[in-house]
Amino acid sequence: MTDLKLAPSFSLIALNAQRSLHMTTVKRVSLRCMAAAVILELYLEGCFTQSENKLTLRKEALEQSHSTLYRETVLQPVLHKSAEVKGDLNWWLKKASMLSNKQLKKFEAAISDDLKAMNLLDDIPSLLGSDMFFESAEVEIRVYRSNIEAYTSITENIRAEILEEGPVTDEVICMLWLLRECGCMHDFFSLNELERVNIKLHDLYQSNLWAKALFPTQIRHGIELGVKRFLVLKSKFAKTFIGSSINYLFPALERSQAVFIETEAWFDNSDKRLDAVITRLNSYGHEVKVIKRGSIATLKIDNLLYDALPHFVVMNVPIQGVRLVPKHPL
Amino acid sequence: MSRQRSMENILASEYVSIGELVRITNSRYSTLKHYTEEGMLPFEQAEENLTRRYKREETVARFLWIKELKANGLTIPQIKEALE
Repeated sequence: MTDLKLAPSFSLIALNAQRSLHMTTVKRVSLRCMAAAVILELYLEGCFTQSENKLTLRKEALEQSHSTLYRETVLQPVLHKSAEVKGDLNWWLKKASMLSNKQLKKFEAAISDDLKAMNLLDDIPSLLGSDMFFESAEVEIRVYRSNIEAYTSITENIRAEILEEGPVTDEVICMLWLLRECGCMHDFFSLNELERVNIKLHDLYQSNLWAKALFPTQIRHGIELGVKRFLVLKSKFAKTFIGSSINYLFPALERSQAVFIETEAWFDNSDKRLDAVITRLNSYGHEVKVIKRGSIATLKIDNLLYDALPHFVVMNVPIQGVRLVPKHPL
Repeated sequence: MSRQRSMENILASEYVSIGELVRITNSRYSTLKHYTEEGMLPFEQAEENLTRRYKREETVARFLWIKELKANGLTIPQIKEALE
């Protein structure tokens, strides 16, 4: 039950299950929105002085407001050597979201270190790294894992405020805008709920001054968001009946969705095979909990649910193992 | 502009919203909504904007009780009976 500021709480959602060592397109989209969240956080805390439509940020104001490293990594490139910088909200958000790759990496390190220090974020080996083919190629892949309780508390709070009658707070308005710009709305709301969310967003735009100022701003980068949407569609297709069958036969099409874990011996008993796989996953540093046993077991591996299907691949000799196919997100 | 209340303020207040209840009980919104619709969590409705308000201490205690009954294997109709 920690009170997180806007940027760390959005980052906790945005970084979950993203690769920590590589700059993927999906992560870059998230980082741009996280940098914009820093500006919104400063705005909500009153660090800007407002005259007409312009927001002015002075270096002194920043020094007085318990500045943290993640804020500095975003503001330094914007402020540069000037004592104060002036621009409207749109300008500030766009400026923060257009940081270079190098600056984004610095920002990511600062904010993830902060969250790790609060025990809200882990850096764990990716399940893909346990895949027989990846492991033999010695490719190291690590991913972020958010603390599931904090993650649920943040996302459910957004859902409760927006799906319930009554006023919506400024923090949740910011979160909704960030989720929209990040292209993540579908991850948190079902199709039916999205219709209600759209109506609520429209009402907020009509009645709330803060929403009216924020919602017209767009920081998305068309190509990056396009790539992200394609990848999301591909993952969604892999979860359908036809998709999972194709994925099972040709895992290379959607590698992260069908990880193959080999067993060291040839078992005729599904329980023994499952235990061997769990031991192997534990040795790679994953937290595994068996939800359901049987010929097709259900496992919870690091916040995600997977179906463990018995499978074998034929190399020089047949190798028995388990194909892990994701079942549900979080 | 309306700002979110800090956890300290929420824990000191008599009434909380469903969003705040999500934060203090670490539960899902859909769970609380379901319990509310089943009449298991009583609420008061502010007239001006139809916002549901819950008495914090009573509701949290009731929620924990429901959780315990659920862990003991009771179904929702059985829990409703036990609550009455």
